Amino acid sequence: MITTEVTFDELAALIKQAAGITVDPKELKQSADSPFDSFGLDSLGLLGIVGELENRYGRSLPPDSERCRTPQEFLNLVNSTLKAGA
Amino acid sequence: MSNRRTRRAAVTGIGVVAPNGLGTDAYGKSVGEGLGVLDLISREGCEHLPLRVAGEVRAFDPAALIEEKFLVQTDRFSHFAMAAAALALDDAGLGGDPAEPFSIGVVTAAGSGGGEFGQRELQKLWGQGSKFVGPYQSIAWFYAASTGQISIRGGFKGPCGVVASDEAGGLDSLAHAARAVRRGTDVMVVGAAEAPLAPYSMVCQLGYPELSTVDDPDRAYRPFTEKACGFVPAEGGALLVVEDETRARERGVPVRATVAGHAATFTGASRWAESREGLARAIRGALDEAGCAPEEIDVVFADALGVPEADRAEALAIADALGAHGTRVPVTAPKTGIGRAYCAAPVLDTVAAVLAMEQGRVPPTPNVFDICHDLDLVMSRARPTELRTALVLSRGLMGSNAALVVRRGDESAR
Repeated sequence: MITTEVTFDELAALIKQAAGITVDPKELKQSADSPFDSFGLDSLGLLGIVGELENRYGRSLPPDSERCRTPQEFLNLVNSTLKAGA
Repeated sequence: MSNRRTRRAAVTGIGVVAPNGLGTDAYGKSVGEGLGVLDLISREGCEHLPLRVAGEVRAFDPAALIEEKFLVQTDRFSHFAMAAAALALDDAGLGGDPAEPFSIGVVTAAGSGGGEFGQRELQKLWGQGSKFVGPYQSIAWFYAASTGQISIRGGFKGPCGVVASDEAGGLDSLAHAARAVRRGTDVMVVGAAEAPLAPYSMVCQLGYPELSTVDDPDRAYRPFTEKACGFVPAEGGALLVVEDETRARERGVPVRATVAGHAATFTGASRWAESREGLARAIRGALDEAGCAPEEIDVVFADALGVPEADRAEALAIADALGAHGTRVPVTAPKTGIGRAYCAAPVLDTVAAVLAMEQGRVPPTPNVFDICHDLDLVMSRARPTELRTALVLSRGLMGSNAALVVRRGDESAR
């Protein structure tokens, strides 16, 4: 069984698509514990990314997913959710 | 520190995004030449609608002017507003990060909000489901969106607001900004921009009996004539920087004009005969506040709705309020060349008034050649004359009336 996992590349692309902010995936990975707002992403932007991921993977993410503070925290939550449902 | 009671609101910056020009100079040149740019509507999804002619802002590339993070969360009306605000701030020498964020506020007027963005998200709602509606729908369509985005983009933390009081709200916003300055805020970014030329927004307008559905751009909007057949809508707008006059002089920036007086009244939706009394009262109120005699008004920028009953009411209101001077003072309506951009229409007229005073000429009223009212309407070409004080009039389809008196920059020092 293939386990889907959202990567920093995919997250960077989603940040661009949903919030119009260009982030280098490498930088996102290197600064994975920096708060989202240091990349210019606000909570509405992250909410849009949550919605897009839910639509893309056909699964609900936990309530308050958009309150994650950092890219690492967010990807951990998303990927553990996707893995649990695989 | 100037005394608050004597603080005067000076116009120190102007930014325009209009159908006849991107930038204040281009707009001023087109207005001065009486250029008419009304044309068949070309925006996608509008071709089949019975509203055919409008003033479209073409060659506007928001991506070249506004950061993508602001573009994705805003409607076209906010794109116009943000672009115009940036031009106005540059003109005032206030571009870049503000030194004192709490001393700069923003107020805009809005007539319909972000219809195009809203339509796109509502189509996702009914076409794909609620999970496909983006979170920025919560803010992009809203009347206050442009005020919020201008303040966020500029880093302004002074008093902010939005005036939702019909088309005349464009003038009310200028009065609101002038009051904020008199009460102690140093700088206000103020004005309006609208984007009513998208399918949903256009369908909303089709119910207005005042709307012109004539499909000949040269004949669709001819107020004050026997051929008057309603008004033509437009998109775009203008933002101004209004600040404490003393502060402006201390900064060493030119005072382009001062906001001298304003008043507003309400006489009911589409009750055009009644608008005579309402508009006359607004004019008297604005003159009172400005301490201005009727004879001091050197030019009137008319509302010029293009509906015979409304045109008659306006001509009579000018005579009621200005007396014999009302039939002698030059009157103009440059908006016949670009259409009525709802709340932004009287703001664009205010800009035209400031430019007219700076350049010493009354711009003409495009497409209007033969009027049937007792007004000295300036037609065909600009009329050179010294202008010190201008009166700008506006009425809304929902019944608001407003008048604004602006004075030439160097007049206010008297």
